[in-house]
Formats: sequence, structure tokens, C-alpha cells
Amino acid sequence: MFPDRRRDVALPLLGAALLWAVFVGGGLLYEMVAGGAAERLVTVMFIDAIVVLGIGIYVGNTGILSFGHIGFGSIAGYTFALFAIAPTEKLNRIPDAPFGLAEVSVGPWGAVVIAVVVTLAVAAVIGVGLARSGAESGAVAATVITLALLFVTHEVARNWPDLTGGERAGLFFTIGGALDSRIPVVVCLAGAVVVARLFATSRSGRLAIVAREDNLAARAMGVNPLVQQMIALLLSVAVVSIGASLRVYEDGSILPGNFFFSYTLLTLVMLIVGGRNGVTGAIVGVAVITAARELARRLGQDGFEVFGVGLDGPPLDWVFRENLQTVVLGVAMLGFMLWRPGGLLDDWELDRWLGRTRAGDASDPPDDPAPHSPRDRLLVVRDVEVAFGGFRALDRAGIEATTSEVVGIIGPNGAGKTTLVNVVTGVVTPDSGTVILGDLDLTGRPPHHVARAGLVRTFQNLRLFSALTVRENVEGAARAGLRDRNDDRAVPGVDDLIFAAGLWEHADRRARELDYGNSRRLELARAAAAAPDFLLLDEPTSGMNDAESLAMVQQVRRMAALVGAGVVVIDHDLNFITSICDRVYCLDQGRVIAQGTPAEVKANPLVQRAYLGGAEPS
Amino acid sequence: MTELTQNLIDGLGRGSIYALLALGVAIVFGVMHLLNFAHGEMITVGGYLTYWTALQGWSWWVAAPLVLVGAVVTSLVIERVAFSRVRGSSDFTLLLTSFGVHFVVSAMFLLYVSASVKTFDRPGWVADTYAVGPLRVEVFDTVVIATAVATLLGTSLLLNRTMFGLSLRAAAADFDTARLMGVRSDTVIRGAFALSGLLAGIAGIFWLMRAGSTVPSAGIDPMLKGVLAALIGGLGSLRGAVAGGFVLGIAEVVLRSRLPDGIAGLTEGVVFVLIALLFIFRPQGLVSVARAERV
Repeated sequence: MFPDRRRDVALPLLGAALLWAVFVGGGLLYEMVAGGAAERLVTVMFIDAIVVLGIGIYVGNTGILSFGHIGFGSIAGYTFALFAIAPTEKLNRIPDAPFGLAEVSVGPWGAVVIAVVVTLAVAAVIGVGLARSGAESGAVAATVITLALLFVTHEVARNWPDLTGGERAGLFFTIGGALDSRIPVVVCLAGAVVVARLFATSRSGRLAIVAREDNLAARAMGVNPLVQQMIALLLSVAVVSIGASLRVYEDGSILPGNFFFSYTLLTLVMLIVGGRNGVTGAIVGVAVITAARELARRLGQDGFEVFGVGLDGPPLDWVFRENLQTVVLGVAMLGFMLWRPGGLLDDWELDRWLGRTRAGDASDPPDDPAPHSPRDRLLVVRDVEVAFGGFRALDRAGIEATTSEVVGIIGPNGAGKTTLVNVVTGVVTPDSGTVILGDLDLTGRPPHHVARAGLVRTFQNLRLFSALTVRENVEGAARAGLRDRNDDRAVPGVDDLIFAAGLWEHADRRARELDYGNSRRLELARAAAAAPDFLLLDEPTSGMNDAESLAMVQQVRRMAALVGAGVVVIDHDLNFITSICDRVYCLDQGRVIAQGTPAEVKANPLVQRAYLGGAEPS
Repeated sequence: MTELTQNLIDGLGRGSIYALLALGVAIVFGVMHLLNFAHGEMITVGGYLTYWTALQGWSWWVAAPLVLVGAVVTSLVIERVAFSRVRGSSDFTLLLTSFGVHFVVSAMFLLYVSASVKTFDRPGWVADTYAVGPLRVEVFDTVVIATAVATLLGTSLLLNRTMFGLSLRAAAADFDTARLMGVRSDTVIRGAFALSGLLAGIAGIFWLMRAGSTVPSAGIDPMLKGVLAALIGGLGSLRGAVAGGFVLGIAEVVLRSRLPDGIAGLTEGVVFVLIALLFIFRPQGLVSVARAERV
């Protein structure tokens, strides 16, 4: 099943190696053609690529915009410089450095290690703040914190001259102390490409991506986004730290302005122009922007000639002037956000393309998968009360369900059905009442705990991971759900679930390309993939006609039997509920007004009055 | 005690400007969930307009209205050219769009004016002070506080007593429902940008009087103050934004006067660290706004 070694490890390694070879080869080829003057340009491009790949590990996989990574780079750069520069030079420039740093020297490669460790320690603290504010106020607050980090590091670098040499002097290596071979850069670049690509195919990376696509749906599958985002942050900061150290080593000096706004702008533009969601995109972005910037710089300085006509006079002198490269970056950032936010390549990856072309459509569908038997567990929801301001959404409502039955909840609009599911799955915390699964008290637990305990839901308004393929949707849930389950109950494979959902021929299509019925089926298969004890379905037939609803009955039964789960289903389609449920509860104004077999509930006069407005059921 | 009172007065003067900026940020955030990193560009444009009037030898009485008009026009043009195309996009796209706007605007000034600092004369009364008991109060702070209070009251009347204000607040509470109730999204969004630009313009006049100079990237500072103040107050809350502005202003003044000499230069850094701590311990900001996600 997974990790599929060929798809998740071997091919990505091959793809990363090819990408690295083409990029490095291209750079060296340009240098051969353009001559020695291009040497520094190419080396800096390689280092920029390491930094951009590092930023992409966080920004791409989590979808959270960070302005702070260059701030982390600044911390790493100064740490590196402080440990790498020879004491003679430091005693010259910063004799009063705190902690006796002026006399320390560990050599450049030891300094890189220290820089990474120190920066990671800072990142761990910042990461907690990002996670906490992100959980409360969304990604926007996290972005502002990263921006604040960038400014803090800049302020400190400028105003602590004893440590950093201050704004003008900075820190310098002795002459000849700077990086004189390109091999370390190229090796580190290879490492960065491999790490970035493998992280995206790893469990942690996949779960971060799933949370990026839909945070709430991911949590409802058992993913804790904060943990995955923290892992992504630490890994990305480590890579950025190495890149920043190399940059300082190559420059032979560091000044506060080196790791501030303009470098943040440059690296972010590189990332988004190529496509922030992919490693190939990041590398392409670095190449394209390095070229465009160099071209703009030269044109701005010299203008140029076409057929012997100089273009640096009027009418084009208002374009080709100094600082043109800054405009190019700004316009690239704005233009791509307005017209192509995914960048040139979006999330296209070489290895996936190789995998897909070579596999073709040769893979056969699995045999009809065998059902799994449920383990006996009881879901008891008792006396739940929820008030939204003055409105009582739930008033001492409760249900019971076992893993061997299908329980329905019906009721008119506003009866509290969805609120009840939200309470059970931890999205809404009840004012009072309990939710108990087996011997676990789940009342007020966060959604990912509830999911891991064995309750997984679908959503009334579809919440698929829309940029991911059908297979990736199902797999994401399976990876999340299989963790922390203390039983060794066999569960159906991803292939089996996709096949059973009737999505076999769509397995490699993106979820957003599916039609409505298939989207509904995928949502069901995804919930089942988390291998829950109970599937909670919130209006699985909403927007379907009678025939489709009937097909959904079969679909739900089949999925439930396949994973061995009980079902709690909300719907207002009475035919659907009647044909699928063993028992039915009817909610009205937050209270359970009737329960029993579908026939009993249907015949109950209270139900008829509340739910059908007094009319006879058809 | 005297020193603290003195700090409070100075902090209120500073905070008044931040409050106006933060309110503008919060109004725009309310209607399109956009945290506008280009909010300072209104002041950048105002700065170059002031520089231009100074070159003509005109006084602040000409410059000030120009800054106001320039800010409103800039705000509307930015909305039309950039933000109207990304309505409803992801946070990522919205944030980077606004940052892109900042970079394009500052690059334009870099390219067509100059990278160097452009100065203009401050009004003569900026440095004047008068005594109240043991306290020294700046004439400038007095004018700023009075103007800010009048502006905030006016904005409050506008938001609470007019049809436009009602639709703006309705849109901020729930954009989709507001549209269903007949609020026209174009009108309310453009109105929000105009109002936000006007507030930034008023703040900008005082900002520029104090600064006496401008550079292409001048927008960053006022933007940061406005955004941070709005964030301190709790994103989406208009009252919170105003409160956040005053809190930020007072915090800066108190820190500047209390920090030991060696690290007084780090005031801004310390403020950032305090804000980060605030977010670790109170992630929703000072005034929390219930924004339950509907599922």
C-alpha cells in the first residue's frame, strides 16, 4: 500500500537528481558561454535556490505565507559569521562581543552546524506562536508574526553593534577567507532538492498539504495541522539556514541589509513565479527570475540596440533606466498573483509525470474487495445543549448508535441536525452534555482527537482537497486515520476504496475536476479511508435527484460494510432515510421529538406536524 | 507619576495616528478579508505630493488637502487595478497581491523620482510646546489628538447612522448574507477603500509633518503600525483596531523612555517581541471577534 517505495521514494529521488543535474548543468553552461564575469552570478543563483527551496518546504506545503524566513536567514548568517570568522579579525572589529564570542573559532563547517542549531531553536519558539495564533485567527495572523520576525532581526542586527558590527561596518572575513570552491554549494543544493521533494511525498508532508487544501476537513480526518506545520517549519528553517550561511561565506561579509526586505522580495518572487507548490517550480522560478533580473539590470544600465538603433534614448528611456530590476520583481509578484497565482508550473513534478507516463493506464482494478467486520462499540450522545447567543440550537438532545446499524437523524431546517454532528465531531463545544464512544469520553475534544478515536464525518457543503487527485484525497485520510489506533483490525486498502466508490477510472484526476455525484462519492470514500468505527454523514444526498439518492443508499451501505463502520446519517430526504436506516431520530427545535424504526417515526403525528408541516408524507 | 502622565500624553499623540491607520486597515479587512500591506502607499503618494508642493514653494495649507485627495484616489485606484481582481481568493493570494502593490508603487518612485531621501520643511509649530503644570505638551500632539478624536467620532456616526455605514458593517459581519439582503458588493467595497484612504490621508498629513521627508519605501512604516495595531486589537474589530492603535502608541513611548540606554534603539524590536508574546498568550488579540466557521 504506502509508502509506495517506487512512487514516494525512488522516483522522487530520480526526479530530484535529474532536476539538480539540469539546473546545475545549465548554470555551468551559461558560465562557459558568458565567461568569468558570470561566475558569481551562477554561484549566487545556486545559493538562492537552496534558500528558495527551504522557504518552499514551509510556504508550499502548508500554504502559509511567511515573510520571516529571511529573518531566520539573518539569524543563521550572523551566527555563522560569528563562529566562522577568525578571532584576529573579530578582535579587530567587535572586541566587546558578548559571551566571549570574539575569541571563539570553530571553522566554517562547524559554524554552519552551529548556525543551523541556533536558528532551529529560535524557530521552535516562533513556531509555537505561529501555531497558536494561526489556530485562532487564521493564516493572516501567522503571516504578520513572520513579518514582525523579519523586522526584529533587522532591528537587532542594526542596533547591537557589539555583536553584529552594526549597520555600516558589518562583519567581514579576512581576505581569502571566503568560499573559494563551488563544490560545497552544489552538494548542499543537491541535498536541498532531495529533502524538499522527499518531504512533500512523506507522511508529514502529505498531511501538511492536506491541511493546506482544507484545514477543517483535514482535522476531521484526524490530522493535527499544527504538528505538521511545525515539522515543515523546522525542516524549512534548517535548509534556509544552510543557504544563508553559504551566502555569507560566498559574500565574505554580512550587513543587516543583506537579509531584509529586498532579499525577501527576491526569494518570494522566485518561489511564486515558478510555482510555490512544487520543487520543480521553485527551481524554475529561481532560474527565470535570476535571468530576468540580470537582463533588466543590464538593460536599465546600458539600454540596448536593435539593428543598430539604440533604444536607450526616447521614447523608451522611460522604461530602460536604472533600478529597472526592482520594478521587474514587483510587477512579477503582482502580475502572477493577479493572473496566475499558481505560478508557471503550479505543482507539476518531474517524477510524477514520469510515474504517470510509464504506468499509463495499465494498472488493473482490484478484485471486488471483501467487507470487514466492525468491532462492537457504542456511541452515546446525551443531554447536549448548545446556545448561539440567545438561540438554542440544541436542547438536551441525545442519540445512541451501535457499529452494526445505520441511524438516521431527520428534522426540518434549523432543527439542529448539523449542530449535533458538529458537537459529536468536536467542531462545536457543547454548553453541557456528553459524547461517549465505547469507554472514551470525547466531549469537547478537538476534531482530530475525535477522528482518531473513531468518528469521521463528511460535510454538507463538499470539502474535498480540491487540488489533489482522487487517490491523494483517499490516501491522505488513510495516512491520518491509521495512526494512534490501538487495534490491529484489518482495513481496506486505498485501491479497494477507490474502486468500491466507483472512482477507479478517475483515480488520477484532481478532485476539483469531478462532477457533483463523483465528488459526493469521493467525500464518502475519503471518510471511510480513515477507518472509523462510525461514519457521520451530513446530508450525503443534498442536491441529488431520486435516482441518485437511491444509488447513494447502496454506496453508503457498501462503504460502511467495507470498513466495518456504523453509520449516523443526517438528511431531510425522507425516502433516502427510510430506505437506508435501521433506526431514526427526529429533531425539532433542538429536541428529539421521536425515535424508532423509520415506519414508526414516519407515522408519528408529532413528526408529521413538525417536519412535514401537517401534510401527509407522500 | 509625572513622567508616566507625560508618557501617556505623548503616547496618545502617537497612538492617534496609529488608530486612524489601524481603523482603515480593519475596515478593508472587514469587507474583503484582506490584510492590506499596501496601506502605507497612500502616505508614500502623499509624501511625494508634499515634496512637489514644497518645490513649488507652496505651504502646508495647499499640501494637506492634496495629501487627502491623493490618498483617497490612490486607495481607489489600487482597489480597481489590483484588489478587485482577487476578491474571494485565498489569504495567500490576497496578502501577496497587497505586497506586490507596495513593491510596484515604491519601485515606480524609485525609478521615476529617486532612490534618495526627499525632504520638505516641517510646519513651524511642530516643535512648539506649552506647559500644563509640570507637563510639557506639544502643540502638534494637541492638534493630532483633537483631529483624531473628531475623525473617529465622524467615522462612528458614518458607520452607525448612515445606510452606507450599515451596509459596510453588515458586509463586515457576513459578506454573503449582506449581499443576499441587497447590499451591493462593488459599492460597499469601493466605499470601504475610499473611507480607508481618507483615514490614511488624515493620518498621513500628520505623519508627513512630523517626518519632513519621504523615500520610495516610506509606506512600510505606517503600514506596519496600522497592521500591527489592527492585529493587536483583534482582526476584524473596528473598536479593537482603534484601541490597538492607542495601545501601540503608548507602549512605544513608554518603552522608549524606560529602556536602558544601550538598547533604546531596540524599542521597535521590543514592541514586536511583545506583540509576538501577546499572540502566544492571547492569540485572538485584545478584542476577540467570534468568527465561527460554518460547516
